[in-house]
Amino acid sequence: MDNLKDHKIEMPEWIYSNENYIPLTDKDTFINKSILSVFHVISRIRMQDSLDNSRFKINVSLNIFFTFLLIVLLSITKSFIFVVIVIVYLLSILSFTEADRLVKILKFSISVTLFTAVIMLPAFFMGNSYSSIMITTKVFATTTSMGLLSYSSKWNSITEALKLFHVPDIFILILDITIKYIFMLGDYSMNMLYALKLRSVGKNSNKYTSMAGIAGTTFLQSKEMVTDMYHAMECRGFTGEYHICNKSKFKWVDYIFIAINVGAILLFFHFERA
Amino acid sequence: MHIPDNYLSPSTCALMSAAMVPVWTRAVKKVKEEIPKVKIPSLGVGAAFSFLLMMFNVPLPGGTTGHAVGGTLIAILMGPYAACISVTVALLIQALLFGDGGILSFGANCFNMAFVLPFLGYFIYKAVKDNMKSEKGEYLGIILGSYVGINAAALCAAIEFGIQPLLFKDAAGQALYCPYPLSISIPAMVIPHLLVAGIVEAVFTLFIVIYIKKVSPGTMYEESDEKKNAIYGLLAFLICLTPLGLLATGTAWGEWGTEEIGSVVSGGKALGFVPQGMKAGVNFKALLPDYAVNGLPEIAGYLLSAIAGVAIFIIFFKVISSFKKDKAGGKLG
Repeated sequence: MDNLKDHKIEMPEWIYSNENYIPLTDKDTFINKSILSVFHVISRIRMQDSLDNSRFKINVSLNIFFTFLLIVLLSITKSFIFVVIVIVYLLSILSFTEADRLVKILKFSISVTLFTAVIMLPAFFMGNSYSSIMITTKVFATTTSMGLLSYSSKWNSITEALKLFHVPDIFILILDITIKYIFMLGDYSMNMLYALKLRSVGKNSNKYTSMAGIAGTTFLQSKEMVTDMYHAMECRGFTGEYHICNKSKFKWVDYIFIAINVGAILLFFHFERA
Repeated sequence: MHIPDNYLSPSTCALMSAAMVPVWTRAVKKVKEEIPKVKIPSLGVGAAFSFLLMMFNVPLPGGTTGHAVGGTLIAILMGPYAACISVTVALLIQALLFGDGGILSFGANCFNMAFVLPFLGYFIYKAVKDNMKSEKGEYLGIILGSYVGINAAALCAAIEFGIQPLLFKDAAGQALYCPYPLSISIPAMVIPHLLVAGIVEAVFTLFIVIYIKKVSPGTMYEESDEKKNAIYGLLAFLICLTPLGLLATGTAWGEWGTEEIGSVVSGGKALGFVPQGMKAGVNFKALLPDYAVNGLPEIAGYLLSAIAGVAIFIIFFKVISSFKKDKAGGKLG
């Protein structure tokens, strides 16, 4: 200790001088935007884990089947009342979902609907009021129902349901791998984007090159991951076949769900005839 | 370019999905032949890559940003058939889980972005590359392929939109689905792609390919002696496709002619997202009637312009390649 006190540390001269280096400002919104959109995707996949499978959980296969059916009916129908009834039904389901999920579903469907409304505006003024109003409301109904499906069920249960619909195994395999690797490659490329952001001090005139570098490296990395993964899969005895383990039984919510949807189908035919 | 649900009629959606079935079947078959079993997961990873590629924003002049689609890039890197499957899976995940693009219009979206875009882009790239056997030729091929690919996809989407009001009307004559005819939908879709998105796509594709070639040569897809006629086959197929527009011609073509085209201008103004498109929209007024050659039935006129377009296209490449040969001969002499 004493030694340390006695010892005089000589600081080099340059450390005292004030630095007034001001890096040139550069527009790097493209990095921020890329980070944000990759981040959005990754967080969306992560959110899957927080989903609970217990309360008011409708059988996923049923949910997918009736969501698709509802979208088809919505697309065919010419009755505005039917569309409004479906929207009211969807909104009432929405009101049962948790607040943060509800906000996310609504945010998405409203933004798509507004976009459609803007696109349809000229048609409205040209006197084509029917299709502009009809399409806008239909778009709201379809996006809300898709949002309800994708935000309320785990994605691996959606692939499980695809197996029930006799989608070929190779396709499910590819789909499964894709979702996992969107996450892994996304994480990988996001780190590179952060690195690019941190290291771009001042003007960076090689923006295109650096973006292309990130995309290219991601591609090369994906090639390496593929081989590793296949070997890992083989080692664990994966033969490319999928089997459904839990044969879920219908619960009372499922019967209510079926009843509501059959009601919707009947309503559809009622309004089509009228 | 993702078409949402309800813009297209269910029957159009069904037709487009049906058109995709043979493409998918062939793609799966070709991929099984070309790609060893070890590489099957590469399709999934490729799909993940093509999904992520759309997340990358690149700077555009004027301070804005845009993102590329990368269909041609994936076709160049992994081969057109693998690209078809990868982009299809990426589109499915977007539609099913992210709500981007419709469920019913999935077939139409796949047709535009998983079939027309990668195949046309790849075959143009291949044709140019084979005809001008030099590095510059390859780069020109990449630029042309990705630029034409994305614009062709946009044009297909525009045609799908544009035929809706002609085919599907209610008793009062009001359009049931997308209300804009071809005269509005084509400039609205194609002009932004010609001016902005196509350039982003071409530059981004070129830079990535150059990067990968530099860092890791040999990872690129090499075609196993495919018949060169493939490009002509595809072009012939595309000519056959133009009758998609034919469906629309028939009686309706003349009906909306003058009044509707006149409204392109006001439509363009209100649409808002094609600022440059407004002026071009006016030019379009003069261009469009030429599609129907005077004195010919509309169908024949439509086909004729399609064939002429392709012929000009082939001539263009022949001229380029002969120019190249001359140069080589000159050097020898």
